[in-house]
Amino acid sequence: MGLPDFLPFLVIGLYFLGTAFYVLGSALRKERIKILALVLGGIGFALHFIDLTQQLVLADAPGALTSGRFLFCLLGFGILLIFLLLWWRLKLRFLAVVALPLALVFYATADATSGIKASLPPMLSGLFFFLHIGTLFVSMALLAMGAGAGLAFLHLEKRIKHKAGLRKFQQDMPSLDTFDKVNHWVIVGGFPLYTIGLISGFVWAWLSAKRVFSSDPKEILALVMLGLYAYLFHQRLAYGWKGRKPAVMVIGVFLLTVISMLGINFLVPTTFHGFKP
Amino acid sequence: MDKNIFLVGLNHRCAGVDVREKFALTSVADFEKSLLAACPLREVMALSTCNRVEILVVADGTRCQDEDISEAVLRHWAETCNGPLEVLRSHTYKNQGLDAVTHLFCVAASLDSMIMGEPQILGQLKNSYRKAVETGTARVIINRLLHKSFSVAKRVRTETAIASSAVSISYAAVELAKKIFGELGGKTAMLVGAGEMAELAATHLLASGIDKLYICNRTYARAQELAKTMHGEAVFFEDMVARLQGVDIVISSTGSPTAIIRAKDIREVLKKRRNRAMFFIDIAVPRDIDPDVNSLDNVYLYDIDDLKEVVEENMSARQGEAVKARAIVDLETEAFATWMKSLALQPTITDLLSRAEDVAQRELAKTLKRLGPVDDETRQALEVLVNSVSRKLLHEPINFLKRRTREEGTSERFIDVTRRIFNLDSDLVNPDAHLDRRMASEDEPLECECCREPESDQGDTVTPQNPQ
Repeated sequence: MGLPDFLPFLVIGLYFLGTAFYVLGSALRKERIKILALVLGGIGFALHFIDLTQQLVLADAPGALTSGRFLFCLLGFGILLIFLLLWWRLKLRFLAVVALPLALVFYATADATSGIKASLPPMLSGLFFFLHIGTLFVSMALLAMGAGAGLAFLHLEKRIKHKAGLRKFQQDMPSLDTFDKVNHWVIVGGFPLYTIGLISGFVWAWLSAKRVFSSDPKEILALVMLGLYAYLFHQRLAYGWKGRKPAVMVIGVFLLTVISMLGINFLVPTTFHGFKP
Repeated sequence: MDKNIFLVGLNHRCAGVDVREKFALTSVADFEKSLLAACPLREVMALSTCNRVEILVVADGTRCQDEDISEAVLRHWAETCNGPLEVLRSHTYKNQGLDAVTHLFCVAASLDSMIMGEPQILGQLKNSYRKAVETGTARVIINRLLHKSFSVAKRVRTETAIASSAVSISYAAVELAKKIFGELGGKTAMLVGAGEMAELAATHLLASGIDKLYICNRTYARAQELAKTMHGEAVFFEDMVARLQGVDIVISSTGSPTAIIRAKDIREVLKKRRNRAMFFIDIAVPRDIDPDVNSLDNVYLYDIDDLKEVVEENMSARQGEAVKARAIVDLETEAFATWMKSLALQPTITDLLSRAEDVAQRELAKTLKRLGPVDDETRQALEVLVNSVSRKLLHEPINFLKRRTREEGTSERFIDVTRRIFNLDSDLVNPDAHLDRRMASEDEPLECECCREPESDQGDTVTPQNPQ
């Protein structure tokens, strides 16, 4: 039995209200409004999950999972999943202010996409779907949360460093150390996943089109991001980078991700990743 | 009826320390008993701390027609303290009725305290109330009034930010440390030099859970002495910079005319500690720490002026919150006035009957729903049945209340019990509402609102300070 046609609109509406109420609740410092926002977002998340499940169930072959709609839905879902993980482990509930709008953007733009143009034998599609798309999406979701934590770090650090005083809003924020921990896990967990995602993508390209590198803007940007990510990974682990510098870099890498996902995929003609319908 | 409530008192605003000392009540229980015997009063409760004395009384309406109750209380108070009545009169305030209620709520909510928002006054009020209950001088009105004042204080603390930010330099430093490091468990601090404020900050850091405290002083013997009292480890002054590698928070307060911690030293230290954040608190004048230290990444430096600024901002924020708190107090005063009016017999009988009627109608509706369609005659018979059962059940309690009112002139105790049994005021009562009264020990010391640091409820073990 199919799900009602209005389900995507309901999810978009719930994410929109969740985002709006969370921002409003944070601005007014009203806990109840924030809880209402999270409940609305939670219902949206559950319906989002049902939508994804239906797309999986109705997919007649693994290749169908490379449709743009499914991929964007999955990315939005992954961002919320990583947010829930960070909320649970590090009590970073305030990251909802980043996770909910991003989930909204990716879910809402899902219908405007076409899909990946590369095809593989069905038996390999499932494997590469998880190796390429799964890993990249998790690392992107981590980057999104890292960027949110980075922005919060920069804001709070500026207030403390310049002795600007902490208002109630800043007093309610987690500590600088907590934001830095998020940055650490985003880099330590995200970089290997991103690397696996890229390598498997090149293998996928070789299997489906018999060439590894097509010099399209998406691939070039992905390699630039990999380089930055690798530098960040190295500096953080080998030189003990902490605080401001890695926060700024994670925000930068995340912005490149957004440019790559929403800019290049929709606007620039690419070999495999053109999602423009 | 609320006209019978009187509150007379003095506090830090209207009386200097000499007057407060003179008229402090050394034995509150004896004072309460003697006042009850000397004046036409039904209830008495007194609170005496080094910042204030508050005497709350409920007059016996039938015995004090022509008597000035406030004046009688003042006279007895002056006699008890062997002080001149004129001096006392000129330094006290007198409130009656709802003004007295509002004043008490403000005291409980710490809106009237020297450091607005400090939590000690509520504990002191609870202690005084408990003692008045034990002495038997607090009855229906004071019981209700004090319970209400505790809930007002709780509302003010939870619904406003009146107590949310530090208003002392040492606590401001600890709060900043928490904002940088999160939980302080596992962190290490170093106290360089000695000074009252620096030691106080170190004590608060220890109370907030830091793992280790190093104490460094030019005179090693002094460092050892301090280390002994603060359970820290003494460090030679020459080893200070080398030890900084393992230190997260540094509190410096030496008498050195030049900086003893320089930016270039800290740059090296940071490399060794792989850029882990450091927080420097420089309480010395002239400053001990080179201001350039603050320009290093992951290093935060606050000197005494910076901390003072934080405290002043927090103080002004509290003033802003006080407006919200006053609105809560006003609302709760109105609610209390409504309750006072309900203590008359007639409103209680009306409330009782309408409560019973409500219950009867609700149950009847449920029964009719279960029975399905019934004819009008049966419906009417059932209505008569439930209404007469509820009225007959209440007949005897209502007669009892009327009899008590006729015989004793007032039956407010029974009316209050009745209202509570039937929950006619729809009060929400926590299961542990009386826990503090049950658990409090007889010998618990009564701490004074000015004898502790303002935010001492944030840590478990805080050293008492001298009155400010």
